[in-house]
Amino acid sequence: MSEVVELKGRAVVKGRAAGEALVSDSVLSFWGEVDPASGKVIAAGHPLEGQSLRGKVLVIRSTKGSSATPMVLNLARLEGNAPAAFVNLEVDSLAALGCIVNGIPMITDLERSPFDAIQTGDHVVVDADAGVLTITKKC
Amino acid sequence: MIGLTAEQQAILSGARGPYLAKCMRWLVDWGKAMGATRLIPVDNTHVLLPVPNLVARGASKQTIEHYVRDLKEACSHRTNSRCICTVHTLFVTMDDLDVPENDPEQVRMQREITELATAAGFIPTFTCAPYLVGNVPLKGEVCAWTESSAVVYANSILGARTTRHGSESAIAASLLGLVPEFGVLLTENRKGTLLVEVSTALNHPTDWGALGYFAGKQAGLGIPVFNGVRRPSQDEAKQLCAALATSGGVTMCHIAGVTPEAPTLEAAFHGDVPAEFVRFTETALRETYCSLRTHTGTEIDSVILGCPHASIREIAEIASLLKNKRVANGVRLWVDTARSTKANADAMGYTRIIEESGGKILCDTCPTNMRIAARRIVTHGFKQAHYARNMIGAEVIVASTEACIQAALTGKWLGDE
Repeated sequence: MSEVVELKGRAVVKGRAAGEALVSDSVLSFWGEVDPASGKVIAAGHPLEGQSLRGKVLVIRSTKGSSATPMVLNLARLEGNAPAAFVNLEVDSLAALGCIVNGIPMITDLERSPFDAIQTGDHVVVDADAGVLTITKKC
Repeated sequence: MIGLTAEQQAILSGARGPYLAKCMRWLVDWGKAMGATRLIPVDNTHVLLPVPNLVARGASKQTIEHYVRDLKEACSHRTNSRCICTVHTLFVTMDDLDVPENDPEQVRMQREITELATAAGFIPTFTCAPYLVGNVPLKGEVCAWTESSAVVYANSILGARTTRHGSESAIAASLLGLVPEFGVLLTENRKGTLLVEVSTALNHPTDWGALGYFAGKQAGLGIPVFNGVRRPSQDEAKQLCAALATSGGVTMCHIAGVTPEAPTLEAAFHGDVPAEFVRFTETALRETYCSLRTHTGTEIDSVILGCPHASIREIAEIASLLKNKRVANGVRLWVDTARSTKANADAMGYTRIIEESGGKILCDTCPTNMRIAARRIVTHGFKQAHYARNMIGAEVIVASTEACIQAALTGKWLGDE
């Protein structure tokens, strides 16, 4: 039986989704650092370089930079490569807009650090309607 | 909770059709997510309307067509009559230039969108620097701008007020004449968070880019305040703002004693003590250049100037450096700018000088947006270098305009010391 943890947070964008966690205490730009045609992080030297975001619950500090964030997320969604949900420490308004336009849930302000509570590979159910993450730890 | 007027509520309920209802839904939900309590009027927007160039890199034609269909739907509505709406850089040039990466099919789709967009009221500026081509908001003016470098410039250098917009929110703002009120639209959120004490000389625009690239990394989503620097030129301010928005998620900065909301250092922090402090030294300046430098050899193939889009002053400088000289064989020298700036460069004879030297002025777009095939790029823009490295996979060097021209003439990077 795997360990299951529940974490309360604040919904930025409502909705429900589930997927495997991809965790990195880093900032990521969708423009120029994520390729929507492959869903992969292409930023040289980024901790997530080479990782696919497709269907993942993306646990990062925040997104940064470009106005094209919602556009890249939109293209990634059309290609079936978008993340399933965002769990962010800080809310970048462009990531929030991208999630709203593309129907991707986003949660922030968790009761403890998501970088302590969630590891890459954990299965995470994001219920942004209720503001709850349910984390099933990887065995 | 966000309070809507009866008219706004009616639009949300579909009184002006399903597309405007969707636009209103985006603005309301975005406002809710970011803590806004109301929508406020906006009369100045800068909008992203490009046809994406993904097909060549493995995405489906269907995806592009879907995206283009959405843009066409947006452009089939009139912009708000109060609003000046300018258009951001494209991913192709609309000129008949012999540029192999200019996909004719993409140009055709872009022309369709552009025709609809201009009929709808969007002004075809096609630039990342609208403040150089007539969209110059006043201090305190509420705007809805895409292009993060232009957002930083508008807020910091001009004292206008805009959050960082995406295509969808800027389109919605243009059609409805409204934005959710959050972030830097509110005075209390324009307070500096990080003091950057500058203790090195900044000699040209690219040095200001280095300062921005350094500070953006430190500031994250915060607001850096620069102290100890002289008044920058317009081109220097442009490089500073672009680099800030490249390495970080910065929306604005202050320059103590220079920018409109920072007559003094105290004013920049709204009378509070800075939460964080960092020093930008000569060593940090050097290290910032090195941090982006991936090219170790001497041969180069591309020199890219005009990121953000070149001002007429920069084009004049480039022309004077190139006069009666030849760009080395096999080197692509491009100066990227807005077409209205190029019209002035044509009239002044700068375009002819640049073309006679073997260089080219590229309008509407930029090499990174176009995804040019380049292996070794020298550029004066930290932003260009940062994105070209990831998006084109090129080796990059960032250097002053003068050093870039030297590299173009010799075909070699021999260092800037």
